[in-house]
Amino acid sequence: METLDIELPRMTLLYGLCLLPWLLLRMLGLLLSRDIGISVLRMSVQLALVGFYLKWLFELNNPWFNGLWILMMLLVADFSILRRAGLKARYFALATFIAIAFSILFSTAFLVLWVIRPALFYDARYIVPLSGMILGNCLQGNVIALERFYSSLSKNENEYATFLMLGATRIEAVRTYFRDAIKAAINPTIAGMATMGLVSLPGMMTGQILGGSEPWVAVKYQIAIMICIFTSTTLATIINLKLSLNSAFNDFDVLRDEVIDKQS
Amino acid sequence: MSPIIRFDQVSVAVREKVILSNISFALFPGEKVVLCGKSGSGKSSVLRTFIGLHAVAAGDVYFQQMQLTAASVHSIRNATAYIGQEPVLGAETVREALLLPFQFKAHRNQRPSDARLIEVLNRLHLTADILNQKSSHISGGEKQRIALARGLLLGKSLYLLDEITSALDAESKQAVFDVFSDSQLTVLSVAHDKEWLVRCDRILELEAGRLVGERTHGNA
Repeated sequence: METLDIELPRMTLLYGLCLLPWLLLRMLGLLLSRDIGISVLRMSVQLALVGFYLKWLFELNNPWFNGLWILMMLLVADFSILRRAGLKARYFALATFIAIAFSILFSTAFLVLWVIRPALFYDARYIVPLSGMILGNCLQGNVIALERFYSSLSKNENEYATFLMLGATRIEAVRTYFRDAIKAAINPTIAGMATMGLVSLPGMMTGQILGGSEPWVAVKYQIAIMICIFTSTTLATIINLKLSLNSAFNDFDVLRDEVIDKQS
Repeated sequence: MSPIIRFDQVSVAVREKVILSNISFALFPGEKVVLCGKSGSGKSSVLRTFIGLHAVAAGDVYFQQMQLTAASVHSIRNATAYIGQEPVLGAETVREALLLPFQFKAHRNQRPSDARLIEVLNRLHLTADILNQKSSHISGGEKQRIALARGLLLGKSLYLLDEITSALDAESKQAVFDVFSDSQLTVLSVAHDKEWLVRCDRILELEAGRLVGERTHGNA
């Protein structure tokens, strides 16, 4: 069963639908025309480029190019996480890269090599979209974890210093903020799993059904991807925060002022 | 007798702004010394520098014979109690706040009994009832006495006190005075309160990050 293509005239019609929210926002006095225009344009251009590139990648199906694509996604995610978390890349880029690379490669390898087992382990049709989906969700979790952790620490500077004065090591003194940050990062995934299928039909499952898969196969893939997202987000956030502690503090266990990006 | 605290030509800068400049002084065991000066003169920075919260740009800081370095800072912090104007208790109830340091590896084997907690509370004119109260429900003066109680429970003999008597009621103040009448305890404090100044051995005057004078109370 083939998915019905959306031809250009009907795509134009689809873009026309944006006029409705634009008009409503305008009536509310929210002048967001520029932001909406840029966002819709960026989405279209970026996805078109990805479309071309993926088509080429799938046809080529070369392990090196597939690996290069994943590496590029990881690098973009690395800098995006730090920018959104308000931290300077100079101090945290390596820690974040190690954390997300390890957790994404681990969960994607687990899923592809041991669970799905395609004929070619590097098959672009599997590893590219699956690692991309896991990374996208993992990215969100890492932004929340880093932002929450370092903003709590800055806000509770006196409390942190009190813990140090009461005999805590750096690890003991940050433990409360560490736990809170990890909890905040993985909560959306846990809540998402609990309501999956009730509140909304998940995107990947919908895509597979539209693509002609049996609903049961789509359900199994959705469960697989959610478990991998949960695993990799938990792993990445814990590793990332742990590694970040090495560069965020001076030798006297004081949070270095210069690691926070004040402009973000 | 060797000093317990020694600042030797210490300068400190925070975000490229000099906050302490060429400070030298010594504090001997059992002494009660107070730092005086206008707001922003660097009084609190002296206390924070001693416990490694500000990096030393020039000069040396010593605790007994030990120089303040990354390797020695933990020993210095473990020997010192630092109590600020608004102490953080860091726990839900007063009992948990008092026992907080004993959760850390450094003090895990020294957990005090309830009888010991009550004995220290009584010394600070507090009763056992306060143990089960929520930290958020107690007054500022009680918070300072609880922070002080933690120092006593840990057996600390060196106290850095930042304006601790400024917001205290008469009863809390008397309790603090009683504790520090002990000649075994050494105190480096920041204060404006006359009743506190009278009880100190020496007053060090700071101005714009510099030590400009030393006197005793009533001897201007």
